[in-house]
Amino acid sequence: MGKTMKNSSLKTHIGDIFSFAGLLLCVIVFSILSKGKLWSAYNLGVLVQQTCVYAILAMGAVFIYSMGYMDISLGAQVGVYCLLLILITNASGSLILGFVSILAIAILCGLINGYVSVKLGLPSIVTSIFLNAIFGGAQMLIMERLGTNSISMDQKLTFFKQMPVMLAAIVIIALISVFLYQYTQLGKLVKGIGANETATSISGVNTTKWKVLAYVFFGVCIAVGALFLTARTNSAGKGTGAGYAMDIMVSLLLGGMPLSGGMRSKISAALVGTFTYVILANGLILSGVSTTLIYIIKAIVFMAVILMTCRKKDGVLPR
Amino acid sequence: MAEILLEIKKMSKSFGPIVALKDVDLTVSRGEIHGLIGENGSGKSTITSIAAGMQAATAGEMFFKGQPWKPDSMVHAQAKGISMILQEANTIPNCTVAENLFAGQEDRFSRFGLVNKREMNREADALLAKFGLEHIHGKDVINKYGFEDRKLVEIARAVTDETEILVVDETTTALSFEGREILYRIMHEMAEKGKAIIFISHDMDEILEQCTVLTVLRDGEIRGTLNREQMTAPGAVSEIRKLMVGRDIGDKFYRSDYDPSCSGEVVLSFEHVSTAQIKDFNLEIHAGEIVGLGGLSGCGMHEIGRLAFGIGDIDSGHVRLRGEDIKDSVDAVGKGIGYISKNRDQEAVILEGPIGVNIVQPSLRDLGKNIVIRPSEEKKMSREQIDLLAIKCTGENQWVNTLSGGNKQKVSFAKWIAKGSNVVIMDCPTRGVDIGVKQAMYQLITDMKHEGKAILMISEELAELIGMADRMIIMKDFRAVKEFTRSPELSETDIIEYMI
Repeated sequence: MGKTMKNSSLKTHIGDIFSFAGLLLCVIVFSILSKGKLWSAYNLGVLVQQTCVYAILAMGAVFIYSMGYMDISLGAQVGVYCLLLILITNASGSLILGFVSILAIAILCGLINGYVSVKLGLPSIVTSIFLNAIFGGAQMLIMERLGTNSISMDQKLTFFKQMPVMLAAIVIIALISVFLYQYTQLGKLVKGIGANETATSISGVNTTKWKVLAYVFFGVCIAVGALFLTARTNSAGKGTGAGYAMDIMVSLLLGGMPLSGGMRSKISAALVGTFTYVILANGLILSGVSTTLIYIIKAIVFMAVILMTCRKKDGVLPR
Repeated sequence: MAEILLEIKKMSKSFGPIVALKDVDLTVSRGEIHGLIGENGSGKSTITSIAAGMQAATAGEMFFKGQPWKPDSMVHAQAKGISMILQEANTIPNCTVAENLFAGQEDRFSRFGLVNKREMNREADALLAKFGLEHIHGKDVINKYGFEDRKLVEIARAVTDETEILVVDETTTALSFEGREILYRIMHEMAEKGKAIIFISHDMDEILEQCTVLTVLRDGEIRGTLNREQMTAPGAVSEIRKLMVGRDIGDKFYRSDYDPSCSGEVVLSFEHVSTAQIKDFNLEIHAGEIVGLGGLSGCGMHEIGRLAFGIGDIDSGHVRLRGEDIKDSVDAVGKGIGYISKNRDQEAVILEGPIGVNIVQPSLRDLGKNIVIRPSEEKKMSREQIDLLAIKCTGENQWVNTLSGGNKQKVSFAKWIAKGSNVVIMDCPTRGVDIGVKQAMYQLITDMKHEGKAILMISEELAELIGMADRMIIMKDFRAVKEFTRSPELSETDIIEYMI
């Protein structure tokens, strides 16, 4: 009996071991390849800036991925929110008004994303394709009207660029996520929906309500992420947010998140995954790999992770 | 001593790490009706499926009529003389009865590649008549006939002049009283002609009435073989049960009392409920009452169970709990109703998840009243249920998909006991569960009754309904056709005629 217990606990933790080992490997390899530049004070600042946005977005996305759903509208949403944040803040002079506005829109989109897919019986990826198109279109439209390639913030958001603030943001969002995930119905039920939606619904769970709430929390994370992204670049344009949906997906996979959701989902996947991903991307540049090749290397890493995690019997591909 | 037809020596079969058969020796002689009995997973069907060519053994030898026997397919085995009738439907839909009967033998009726349909139909009718099945016609499309008649067509197909051994694998559960009589007659006729039958059934009475030899299996091993005298000796039934389970389970299997009384308070009610198929269904279930709902599988009883839980559309009428309409499953659970689905793995439990998560799930909304759910409370709740139901596991963190069928079923019971549901709808609650666990569940259901819970027990096993229910409703064609009150005199034969 003792042996089987040991085996099963090893089995449940093997994913964690893999993802932490991956992070450690990245750190070691790139420390050597970059000749220590990875840990220079300047580069640490860059790492934290990048990780901050990704980690916040990824922690919100965990709630969606836990249900076995995917969201590809993330990047386009981030782009539009950054633009709106700058426009509203510049026009009114109030950052708070700007942030509250994009937060409201993000929550509204969460509601739409959740409700529409449930009520129309559509797979959530379809509604997210739709939202992606809408937001992508909106981003183009705004830039067309403005007639420029990028706009910038009048006031400098130096407060949100400080390293302690960014780290604190990661910690606060992480604490909130872990709390919601481990100690409230929301986390327990999104995992239940991912593992077996019918059984969860027959347990008397209003699955629609919890799906929508998960999307709402995701929306809040997108709005906060957009704020930190704007603070970092101080500007936004046509390309803002492009590729983020994929980056987040790859990060979560690197962190050991099953794409089919369910009981093996975890918040730590967002943190471990984004750290690994950011160090990977940053380390490649520091090691002198040309930026054009980085995409191809990312693609190879993505394939490798998929092959390693998806070839299990219980599979991790989304429905 | 009759000639030995089939001899199995030291047969073993394993599926990966799971051992289904261990060094089994079995002989079947001419003129025998050889019963095989045992709990689920004891290896009954494994033996016969190997002998009939459906799969190969891992080790061991077989001899058929004295020759080494290694069938490579069911068709091969059937041509050589071992035929098998299965539990599940096995006819080809959208074809005629004659085409089904002679599937694979069309050459017999064809000339220049064209099949002579008329001749085939005529021969089919002759064949059916031989089995006393004049009401089935060769030219009709098979879909026209019900499940039972299709089963009889299968029997006619399986039994040919060349058949030496006929394997009947839990076929009788699908058959009505008359269907069973026809099958028994065919079996006895064959035995008289010096052929042999291997008869697998869960129904102890049927086994004792029909078989001449009985082999009892447990955990892939033969635990005992009884001849006709031993089978009819007094106390044989409890002896056989003991061999099957491995311990004395005593006489107390079902409820021991015959007191059908319950409180006068109506808890769950169906008032003139109609759906696309069900017409004007009425039912009242009282607190402390076990209502049994029985019938053939397609009679609508499973639909009634789902409606009682708020699943499915009602055209008119009301399903109410203490006078309030049940809107959907969320509402049903809120009103204190629990539902144990027949599709356990799809609907009742999350296989890919820990036992604790499953047990707690319906209660999360109570635990989460003040937003925060304390892990210690969840753990306490799961532990209590694991102890109460004696779920065999390493702890609440073990995943459900690693449990045996009976323990999985206990988890789906535990969900509603933990929730404290006052009304529990059980659809086939002991399906695929071993006798030992069954007994524990019956005790649990009896306790629930005494606690004043209302129970709707839907089952395809009449014996279980007779043994447990205060009141039994028999359904046929989506209607309630007959009601019985609990009584020691009630027997399956009294009920069966209303089902078919």
